[in-house]
Amino acid sequence: MALIETRGMTKVFRTPLKGPGLAGSVKHLFTRRFTDRVAVANVDLTIEAGEAVAYVGPNGAGKSTTIKMLTGILVPTSGEVHANGVVPHKQRIQNARNIGVVFGQRTQLWWDIPVRESLALLKEIHRIPQDRYEATLQSFNELLELGELLPVIGRRLSLGQRMRADLAAALLHDPKILYLDEPTIGLDISVKDRVRAFIKQLIAERGTTVMLTTHDLGDIEDICRRIVIIDEGRIIYDGDLQAVKDTFARERSMHFQLHHPPADPAAIAARVPGVKLVAGEKPEQLGVHFDRFEVSAADVVAAVMTEADVIDFHIDEPAIEDVIRKVYAGQLDLSAAEA
Amino acid sequence: MRRAYVMHAKLGLQQMLAYRAGFFLGLLGNLFFLLSMFYLWRVLLKNPRFTHALGWDWSQMKAYLLIGFITGILVSTFTDYTMANRIRTGDVALDLARPIDYQKARFSETLGVALFEFCTAVSVCAIVVAVFGGMQPPTLQAGLLFTVSLLLVVPLKFGIVYMSGLVCFWTTNYLGVSWSRQAIVNIMSGALVPIVLFPVWLQGVANVLPFQAIVWTPARIYLGTIHGTEAVMWLAIEAAWGVGLWILARLMWKVAVRKLVIQGG
Repeated sequence: MALIETRGMTKVFRTPLKGPGLAGSVKHLFTRRFTDRVAVANVDLTIEAGEAVAYVGPNGAGKSTTIKMLTGILVPTSGEVHANGVVPHKQRIQNARNIGVVFGQRTQLWWDIPVRESLALLKEIHRIPQDRYEATLQSFNELLELGELLPVIGRRLSLGQRMRADLAAALLHDPKILYLDEPTIGLDISVKDRVRAFIKQLIAERGTTVMLTTHDLGDIEDICRRIVIIDEGRIIYDGDLQAVKDTFARERSMHFQLHHPPADPAAIAARVPGVKLVAGEKPEQLGVHFDRFEVSAADVVAAVMTEADVIDFHIDEPAIEDVIRKVYAGQLDLSAAEA
Repeated sequence: MRRAYVMHAKLGLQQMLAYRAGFFLGLLGNLFFLLSMFYLWRVLLKNPRFTHALGWDWSQMKAYLLIGFITGILVSTFTDYTMANRIRTGDVALDLARPIDYQKARFSETLGVALFEFCTAVSVCAIVVAVFGGMQPPTLQAGLLFTVSLLLVVPLKFGIVYMSGLVCFWTTNYLGVSWSRQAIVNIMSGALVPIVLFPVWLQGVANVLPFQAIVWTPARIYLGTIHGTEAVMWLAIEAAWGVGLWILARLMWKVAVRKLVIQGG
């Protein structure tokens, strides 16, 4: 059995249906009406030990709800969930021993005590032996620089400091599975890089299984090989990140800065069939769009250099961002990539 | 694992120290309430009918009111307030992601808080006694039984407060729940009016509810109106309520978790 397995996992939230304003609220007191909102619908997920999976989708797609069911916090309305041999919502405490959880928008540190004491409390909750606890803290110190944070009271931490401390708190007990729910939200670039480096190191050295939800595509490309895209509670794609890029991020663009406007653009196009030329903002600029599987960047450069006087050029890498944006907008049918 | 609970108790104490200003303002409120009760009952007890009905006089009534004051402060609002807040903001998700029993963790925290509450309440009492004077100390046996009764108030009140916190899984609003709880506890425990002055039918109701054990049982033991086997029986009832509410809270938790909606994603 895989480390994490769900079959038909579904969560329905019942929300009161109130009319607008005070009148609606009063009316609701007497005739209670509810609507059922399906947050997660029939999700089948299989995650093997050691995998790093990105779980992405627009706001309200059901990402957090999925994570909360996998962590045993929420009880699924129907379907089956197994994680590391237990049913999380039934054996919540046992499940909690195997997992680390980071919610980017919440902290698991205690607000009123120094970080050091929060960590010490977690050490007792997880029953970590003293020597292992010290060794773990030591090994985290390099990337998270915990030393300076230990004496600080929880509520006085800045967001970046808090996230570093929260990561340490979630991983003290060396969990098999790490759930990260938007771990880099609101962080500046340097902290983001540090967080990503830390997670990558964790995967490489400890073989931790990681499930990550994020809106930051840098996180995904840096950490994950597999991507699961969810929308309106349903999984619309589950597979290799590279395959998504290969299938849907084929188009690459190069931008050239020339000495003079190109004398004969058509001649360039003729040298590398299949490319599309786009005029830049100024006449000395030229953009070339091409399918990276049909035309190589080298060919494009060679063609442009023969026909024009190139000062500078740069290539836009295909970003997973564009793909996901297209998927959200319903422009792409991802089932093609699964085949 | 036991150390984790000890540390939760310490955490409760630390949180009280961190928010001591708020606590002392609340204490001041309770103190004003105590003083108004003092002046009210001093006047009432000039009427021999009250003294007769109660079976005790003004000097004993002072002790009664002070016991009500202490058990009122003990396990007051910290536990359900913090629980409700974490449910309302969704931070309860993090409590659930930890390998620790939620109820036992809250109880441990409450013990730490109760220690702080108890120490301050007793200090305030010492001052009040010094000012108003003339209070009879209990007999040794009554004193011991009274101490046990006071200790048993902690798990009992925890059961009540914890369940009122759990109600927030359904209501998300805490204030109304807390106010109702405090009103019920104040009346049915005998903190406002000794239960013996209730109409007979209401006395019957009060005696089969757990709240009477908060003030009525320890106060009667202290004052010697119940003693020996009778006192032990009421202590047993008090202890049984503590255990019963603990189990009831466990059942309530099982239902509550199914109701859980994590607010704010």
